[in-house]
Amino acid sequence: MSNEMLLEIAEKFGDRATLSEFERSLYSRDLAPVPALLVNPLFKTLPDIVVRPSNTEEVAEIMKFAYRNNIPVTPRAGASTVYFNSVPTKGGILMDLNLLTGVVELDEKSMTVTVNTATTWSELDEYLNSRGLAPKSFPSSAPVATIGGWFCMMGYGIGSMKYGSLLSQVRSIEVVLPDGAVKKVTRETTPALDWFAASEGTLGVITKLEVEVRKLNNMKHYLLHLSDANKMLDTMKALIGAEVIPYNVHFTDQECLKAMHALGFTLADLTEGCVVGVDYEGSDEELQQARNIIENLSGADKIANPVSEETAEMEWEEKFKALRLKRGGPSVLGAEVWLPIKNLPEYLEDVQKMSTGYNLGLFSYGHVVTPEYASVMTTFYADETKTIKYIINLSLVKKIHDIGYRYGGCPYGVGLWNSPMVGRIHKSLELSELRQRKKSMDSKGIMNPGKVYRSPFMLNPFNYGLGMNVLAGVRKVLGKGW
Amino acid sequence: MSHEQNKLYTTLEKEALICARCGSCRSNCPVYRVIGWESATPRGKISMAKDIFSKKNPAPVTDDFIRRISQCTLCGACSNECSTDIDIRKLWLDLRHRIAEMGKAPKGYDAIRTNLLANKNITTFDNNDRLEWTEDLDEPEALEPRAGADVCYFVGCVSAFFPQASQVALAIAEILTEAEIDFTTMGGEEWCCGFPLIGSGFVEDSKQFIKHNVEKIKELDIHTLIASCASCYNVWKYDSEEYLDGYELKVFHTTEYLAEMIKEGKLELNEMDEVVTYHDPCDLGRNSGIYDAPREIINSIPGVKFVELSHNRESSLCCGGGGNLQSVDADTASKISALRAEEIKATGATIVVSACQQCEQMLSSAIQKGKLPVRVMDLSQLILEAMQ
Repeated sequence: MSNEMLLEIAEKFGDRATLSEFERSLYSRDLAPVPALLVNPLFKTLPDIVVRPSNTEEVAEIMKFAYRNNIPVTPRAGASTVYFNSVPTKGGILMDLNLLTGVVELDEKSMTVTVNTATTWSELDEYLNSRGLAPKSFPSSAPVATIGGWFCMMGYGIGSMKYGSLLSQVRSIEVVLPDGAVKKVTRETTPALDWFAASEGTLGVITKLEVEVRKLNNMKHYLLHLSDANKMLDTMKALIGAEVIPYNVHFTDQECLKAMHALGFTLADLTEGCVVGVDYEGSDEELQQARNIIENLSGADKIANPVSEETAEMEWEEKFKALRLKRGGPSVLGAEVWLPIKNLPEYLEDVQKMSTGYNLGLFSYGHVVTPEYASVMTTFYADETKTIKYIINLSLVKKIHDIGYRYGGCPYGVGLWNSPMVGRIHKSLELSELRQRKKSMDSKGIMNPGKVYRSPFMLNPFNYGLGMNVLAGVRKVLGKGW
Repeated sequence: MSHEQNKLYTTLEKEALICARCGSCRSNCPVYRVIGWESATPRGKISMAKDIFSKKNPAPVTDDFIRRISQCTLCGACSNECSTDIDIRKLWLDLRHRIAEMGKAPKGYDAIRTNLLANKNITTFDNNDRLEWTEDLDEPEALEPRAGADVCYFVGCVSAFFPQASQVALAIAEILTEAEIDFTTMGGEEWCCGFPLIGSGFVEDSKQFIKHNVEKIKELDIHTLIASCASCYNVWKYDSEEYLDGYELKVFHTTEYLAEMIKEGKLELNEMDEVVTYHDPCDLGRNSGIYDAPREIINSIPGVKFVELSHNRESSLCCGGGGNLQSVDADTASKISALRAEEIKATGATIVVSACQQCEQMLSSAIQKGKLPVRVMDLSQLILEAMQ
């Protein structure tokens, strides 16, 4: 960006724009600690300017300016992802949306709430709960994840099992298009709502969302201990197929149980087998039916052993603390895989083979988010202070994704770092359609460039595959004691 | 420094690496809510600390970094939210300590230190004048230090020297007298509790203050101490143990002590037709774990309608007055207190009570600026009013 352009925006937005390198540097990172050695030669992650618009008009003003001058724009709110989804790849304008918060309107008749995009899920939950309502679903990063941000990702999480994806719950959005036009988008408009779901801010900046809500009901929580992954799958199937649909089903594999136990975050002192957690919400009658389902599954002669309800309650209370595993790190690397649950036992078996092959602990946990699919997180410890070893360890992330791919899975979310695997996420025709949408809506390619549709040249699937496989080979030979 | 048993802290170097940068700490951070830049989020600050202290090729300690580290009220809301269970408040104190040891403490902190070392209190008044506030009592001399008393009231610098806050000390003295409690004070031998020094990173200096106060308590043969200042209480409760060295001393915040007196029927409270809300001081609530006693007191007053603030107990929002923030950035401190005043306004309360004289000062100022029809009181003042 030229100095004139920078000064024009800086002047317009006053103390809500910054050119300070100190401030800007904080926007060139997300949760993933990727070494500068790897990032800097390939991308310009430092934005030229950071601007904090406070309303839709200001967002539109920035977009018009960027469109006119061909400047890349990266929208960002909670920035709680790990794939550089909201980190610039080509500098430009970083649009920090965190001033766009709060509830705009609650319509209890239609059971919808309209919120500004950067309202966090916890803030919305708090607002709704005080009125006897609740969000239908929310991400496991609710304290930081925003409504707009989660919609821009795939939007599956806690509550999706019962209420579907966030896309299915959103009635309309207000979006600022790359040319600065403001548009209300519904299922009936062109472009339609589904264009923007999982678009990761590459088609426009969502400023408001109209989301369905539910009545705040009582909940019951259960944890079931299973001896192995096959029994875990049987239990999940039984829970999913029962007459009362669970609100949330989640699981922890044996290695993860052991790792948590070693850190003192123990689930009823369990270190063997697997655990399935199931949460129900609904009427007293539904909750009683749910109790019967659990009782039928558990007991002395059944496959599942119930863990105390107090422990299950505590597990629910601490649902946002999965990152505790990181205390065993100091760093954690891993892959989030969208996996057919029918293949979960085989996936976990291969993950353990990989664990043996590379001599490292691999811990898996996840949420079953549809009757067929789970979002599975498989992680391992690494040390980012040892840069070369850490970069070599990054190759194992691809190896985990390879296992997922063998069993019908794909990466959950794209951003920058999963873009080499975009061919695994979308079928060829789907990908062509997505690219066509991007072209039609953002012909200048200024919206969050470098993400979602294709990988940057240096990360093209061939280079990426070859590079990662070589590094994984090095890791296998030299890294057993790491 | 904290009652949080489930929060963990190893070393700054390790904890900065453990931080996942998830940002759960972000939304409830009062400083971030006012400043708005990512560099003001706890995760942003820890991320910078990691680059400085945890890497083999450390980043430089810049003035910008020091400024952001000092822009913190030490309220502990970040620790409460941390998804990796880091005692982040402890991390801030550690960082400030490191910065002070490098000789890079902000000027405001240096001024606090210089003044405290000279005067033994946070003002420029002579420390021997600590009991001037007692002149409004019928028998001021009764509060001169007296060995062997059942209870020592640790008044704290704010209540001792600031006229408005002295009303709290007076209220406590009147209540204790009415209940016929055998109590005394440390008079001019009471030094600052050391909290402002700990919060500025001058940990070694704070130790001489804590040690002095403990020695004087031992000399007076006192075995029960009450403090009306939440920060003084926190230091006595969690930092004095090393110096007590086995000496038996029960430490109570005045809210705990007075709540117990009410339960025992030692205080007769009359009806008050008021809507009352309660602001949890960070050092009493989140950082010391006392939430129930203040609420028990309010609810024990006949006629009072108690309403909670939208952020309360563990999720309480700071008043802006903690962590020495005023000494380095009074504007941000004032904006934070304005946020809290908005929450107070939303309750419709006629009285907001608290249990920390610093909080009460900050809230009074914000409420005055906002022209809200709300009285700010300490719980002891509310009790005294109910007794009359």
